[in-house]
Amino acid sequence: MWGEVGGALVLLLLSEVLDCIGISPPGKPVLINCRSPEKETFTCRWDPGFDGGLPTTHHLYYQKEDSYGMYECPDYQAAGSNSCFFNKSHTSIWVNYNITVVAINSLGSTVSDPLEVDVMYIVQPNAPENVTVSVVETEESPHLLVKWEPPHEADTRSGWITLTYQLRVKRQNKKESEWEEYASGKQTQLIIYSLHPGEVYMVQLRCKLDHSLWSEWSTTTHTEVPDYFLKERSIWIVVTVFSAFIILLVTFTLAMKRKYVKHCLLPPVPGPKISGLDTQLLKSGRSEDILSSLINQGFPPTIATKDQQVDYLLVFDSEQVTPDLQNGQTRTNNSIDHGCYDHSLLMEANNKEVKVGGRETVEQGYSEGLESTFRKTKGLSTDVTSHPYPQKKPFNNVTETPKQATVSSKYRSLSHHKDLWDSLARHLDYRETVVKSQSNCDDKHNLSSQNIVTPSKDIGYVEVHRWTKSIGLKVLVPKMDKRQDYSKVSVVENDNVVLLKRETVPLNCTSCKVGGNQSEKCLQQKPCKPNMTVPAKEGVHIGSNGYVEPVTMSHTL
Amino acid sequence: MVLLCVELRGSGSASAAPICVHGQAGCHFLSLADLFDRVIQHSARMHSISSDLHSEFEQYVLPSRNHIGRINRHCHTATILTPNGKENAQRLAREELTEVILKLLVAWKDPLWQFHQNMVHQDDFNNFSSNKALEMSYMVHELRKGVEKVADKMQHLGMISNTLSGLSSPEALDPSSDTCGESQAMSDHDLLYCFRRDSNKVQNYLKILKCRIVPENGC
Repeated sequence: MWGEVGGALVLLLLSEVLDCIGISPPGKPVLINCRSPEKETFTCRWDPGFDGGLPTTHHLYYQKEDSYGMYECPDYQAAGSNSCFFNKSHTSIWVNYNITVVAINSLGSTVSDPLEVDVMYIVQPNAPENVTVSVVETEESPHLLVKWEPPHEADTRSGWITLTYQLRVKRQNKKESEWEEYASGKQTQLIIYSLHPGEVYMVQLRCKLDHSLWSEWSTTTHTEVPDYFLKERSIWIVVTVFSAFIILLVTFTLAMKRKYVKHCLLPPVPGPKISGLDTQLLKSGRSEDILSSLINQGFPPTIATKDQQVDYLLVFDSEQVTPDLQNGQTRTNNSIDHGCYDHSLLMEANNKEVKVGGRETVEQGYSEGLESTFRKTKGLSTDVTSHPYPQKKPFNNVTETPKQATVSSKYRSLSHHKDLWDSLARHLDYRETVVKSQSNCDDKHNLSSQNIVTPSKDIGYVEVHRWTKSIGLKVLVPKMDKRQDYSKVSVVENDNVVLLKRETVPLNCTSCKVGGNQSEKCLQQKPCKPNMTVPAKEGVHIGSNGYVEPVTMSHTL
Repeated sequence: MVLLCVELRGSGSASAAPICVHGQAGCHFLSLADLFDRVIQHSARMHSISSDLHSEFEQYVLPSRNHIGRINRHCHTATILTPNGKENAQRLAREELTEVILKLLVAWKDPLWQFHQNMVHQDDFNNFSSNKALEMSYMVHELRKGVEKVADKMQHLGMISNTLSGLSSPEALDPSSDTCGESQAMSDHDLLYCFRRDSNKVQNYLKILKCRIVPENGC
């Protein structure tokens, strides 16, 4: 008993002395972690702790789940100090390791807390290697192509390890920019779009096993993106702005010259101009006024009453001739020889030139198809026949070149009318002239006192020459000054008879009748009252204004 | 309990569905690589669920059960010899590796079902976890059928010999036919721990097998 007490006292004194010196057994080491980079080996590291002032050694001991016995670390050197490296032969997956570290120095030893490790769950791969970043320039936009390789110790070919990668990108120049992370899966390359030109980009990579820990980020790779394509874009911007400016200018100009453009593009359509049609009247909408304005005042045509004194000229068509006229048509190319009188000269005399010439044949030029015959007319008779008056050559050619011509038989037939001279003489349009005869011409020809009808220079007129023995040649020529227009139709009798009438200044209806003097005729152009007219013939109609209407009209308004 | 035993003995007669090998009419032809990919995906999902369940258990349930220390864990699949490293797995023949996989899958079907049943009646786990447990047990069953199909195809293609014909019966694969009682001895925590490990084994073995047989893509 005294020995034990003495021993304890000695130890106590010893430890006190040792404490004064400063040495002690080692402190407790701490196992930091164990890591396996490729699931085939692993390394454990510990913190040695206080060594107690004395040289201290550490030993790692492990125990496996499925086997009994304590084993010491096979390799203290490979992984550095305070580490233990388990190579492939010493590593078993899906087996629990119970690992402890013992610190031993001359004064004692200290055991760390155990660490239970299953290699399956301590895997942490190394960072990916050979990271290459290249700028790929395409038409639309450039992009970064990042390529890398798995860590060299990881065995992915046999399927033992399946790595998934992660990438992060950041712009270097921009302050406070965050890392953008992209998951890459199992692929060893990635394309990054939406780059800013002229920027420097930093790229980092890491990987992990299926459910293991992430590796460390790889070293940063810097890449600069050239900014040349910005200029291309700026050119497009300039072009766009310029064209927009041009378009604005053109639009503004068009807006200013609205009317001109509108006139140019959409020319105004000429509206219908109907005589008597008043658009304002139409707009007013009164039906009676509209109808009355539409209906012509002279429409439907009226036929003048019998008591109106009108002189008419009748014109016959060549086809429909009387038999006596036909007989006279046998001789063509004959010339009327009135002896010593030149009819052409006579015609010239009408033009205020009096010439007396020798014997010459009458050479007239006749227009084709011109035959006319006269009939004495007095007043209005509805049974006159008339012909259309087609004329194809003007009469003015007659005086130019006297040539052999045919005296129309129609004229001669006209000349047979006994009252021709008288009626024409009374006509206001005609005047009588006398051409003195020459003495030497009297005997030569059998001159009758028949009327010779020749067409006059004036269209629609004829001249009548009569030889009177005592007087000489009397000529009825149309008056130049009082030339009238006989173009209006009074009555259409048959298909080939048209009654023309003269158009003059309308006279007073009531003051026209002058007594007695037959040389003056009251000529009334228009009837004073618009009366009802009966259509003379079906198919033609004479309007009140004198023109032929081709359509039958209703009788009443 | 009785129902479980009956079910165990009665489920051995299921036969694998025929696989169209040469693109027969009305049959979608799957290549061996496709089959492997499907199976590997399935096993990855299974392992993921098991890991989640295990971590949930350790986080929420274990503290409440006041487990101190570590009980000497003993997985019921410890009797199945499994390669513990890459070289060991590569040294195994294809048939043997396939057999190991199938053995593992067969061994876990019933314990997982039992575990799910226990979870339903306990208040330790929430509904989400119990759904995971159910899904886990279902997936083991599906994965086993898938691996069997892969084995059949490999046999058809002549890549492995026909020594696997006897694998369909669960009695031959089970280390002990008396699994009805033994699975109960394992605690929930141990079960989850063991299954997490074994699902990882299955996944790795399948990957090695695939890259050994059809190394075209993904290896």
